[in-house]
Amino acid sequence: MITISSLSKQFVSGRGHVAALSDISFSVEHGRGVILAGRSGSGKTTLLNCIGTLETPDSGSIICNGTDICGLNARQRALFRRREVSFVFQSGNLLPWLTVAENLQLPLELNAITGADQLYRIEELLDTFGLAGYEKAMPAELSGGEAQRIAFARAIAHTPSILLADEPTASLDSDNGRQLIELMFSLCHTKGMCLLIATHDQELLGMAETVIALKDGKLLPPAPAPIG
Amino acid sequence: MRFAFILKIATLILLRSWRTTAVLSFMVITAVAALVFLSALAVGTNDAMIRNSTGLFSGHISGSGISEDEAARLQVAGVEQVLLRRQQPVILSSSSSLEAVSLLGIDPLQEQTATAFWKKTVQGRYPATGSQEIYLSQESAKRLKLQVGDNVTLRTHQSVALKQLTVSGIYKTGISQLDQGLAFCPATALPPGGQELSVALFLSAEAPIDEVLSTLRTRLPTASFTPWMEFMPDLKQLIDLDYICMAIVIVLVFAIVSVGISCTFLIFTLKNLREHGIMKAMGFMAGDTALLLVSQVSLLTVFAATVGTLLGMLTVAIFAQVGIDIGAFTSHNQYFSVSGMLYPRLTRLALFTPPLVAMVFGLAAAIWPIVTIIRKNPADILRSV
Repeated sequence: MITISSLSKQFVSGRGHVAALSDISFSVEHGRGVILAGRSGSGKTTLLNCIGTLETPDSGSIICNGTDICGLNARQRALFRRREVSFVFQSGNLLPWLTVAENLQLPLELNAITGADQLYRIEELLDTFGLAGYEKAMPAELSGGEAQRIAFARAIAHTPSILLADEPTASLDSDNGRQLIELMFSLCHTKGMCLLIATHDQELLGMAETVIALKDGKLLPPAPAPIG
Repeated sequence: MRFAFILKIATLILLRSWRTTAVLSFMVITAVAALVFLSALAVGTNDAMIRNSTGLFSGHISGSGISEDEAARLQVAGVEQVLLRRQQPVILSSSSSLEAVSLLGIDPLQEQTATAFWKKTVQGRYPATGSQEIYLSQESAKRLKLQVGDNVTLRTHQSVALKQLTVSGIYKTGISQLDQGLAFCPATALPPGGQELSVALFLSAEAPIDEVLSTLRTRLPTASFTPWMEFMPDLKQLIDLDYICMAIVIVLVFAIVSVGISCTFLIFTLKNLREHGIMKAMGFMAGDTALLLVSQVSLLTVFAATVGTLLGMLTVAIFAQVGIDIGAFTSHNQYFSVSGMLYPRLTRLALFTPPLVAMVFGLAAAIWPIVTIIRKNPADILRSV
């Protein structure tokens, strides 16, 4: 479970101090999928980066599985990212010098899943994502949809407890985007992961169990339930 | 993470970014090959100076205080030839002048085999074995006003005994120690009495002079042996200077090459900055990143240094066969008095120093990219690229 309390983060830029996140609080349970909605610059990516320990918030706390990750040192943060959290980025997040199988091998190696277990896991992932036979393909040989599916497969290869996706459908057409999000939600339920997807795609909002809207780094109040 | 896997990724990055790998390798291969050749050339130049200096007359080791009976014991491992010389101070007189010289009684045949002195003849020829002939320096001949075929009278200090020898030839080496106060004749032509025996030992090319000296000193403890480094300290210093210059050149070349490698490697690393950001986001620690980059540089440098060394060895092998003639630049140089031919030679130091220096500088070149990547926050990397 992720519990975020009073999270704030500022950036210093040419425009002075910019509040990327202001007093954000919410929680996500395991097996639940949340969409972070908001326009560009609303603070979605910063929030995901803070949860994923890529950035340190200025104040507030993020409790993941009972640990306040804001108090971790650099090594502990790297270990947390290695074991507990995975990212799916907008595009191009496959390592271009590695084949599909080698890309999938990377998180498994990082988590000491080797030998027959590793081979079995890679095969299973490729089957699950309908990409059997792509083991030796290079990322440059894949279509945008295939590359994003492999990126997603790599993100869940070692079964992390948290999956963070930042605009994962931005480089996909609507059909491919919808299929990917459905797959994400489905696997999130099956594997019991906390899933947070940042998007500004309005079409995807209806697919989520929970939508958290951000504007200028602040949470917007939930939309009122329809009357009747 | 397993080291083997990091090594695998490093290898794959190098192989699948082959253009960058080729450019970086080319730089290292060229530098190592050039330096292996230059090092071998420095050794070859020093060899040539030693060969010219010792091969003209003195040999590699000169010995004194040896009796005729002990001469056979001088043939130790590494000694190619032993020349016995009998020395006697005499006064040479012609019709008009007198000249005090140290007359060396030699075996002309053996001398011509082991030394190149006979090549310094400017008039006439080297004395014949068993003849009553004398071989004079140009300066002595000039002072005594003698020509080839003239007779010269010998007088020893101990007696007034007179002996006449015929001038067979006149030489000029350009080395003052040999051109002044020396004359040669067959040992059989020396006046009787007052002779002092000295030896000149010529070693094979690879013979370790210190070991040979040690063996000789053990075998003949009463004799005195002097290596060429002691009787030609100027040459020793020149050779040391040559090696120091070569070491400076090697370090400078690799300092320049390493800056080149570092810049290219940094560009290569920055080109893959996003990928490094992704790996950090996946849980790569600072040590993993450093190990990955060090592995890349190490693999590349080991490969390039090996190819460069082989290329350098091939070049040395070719020039060691055909030689490099620098005679046009050494005709007035006493250290090249016999021949201006250089034959590059590889020693262990000449062979292994360039690749080792390449490795050290290659690893040093990786420090900058490693620090750059490690210090960057993955979020900043992913945001900026």
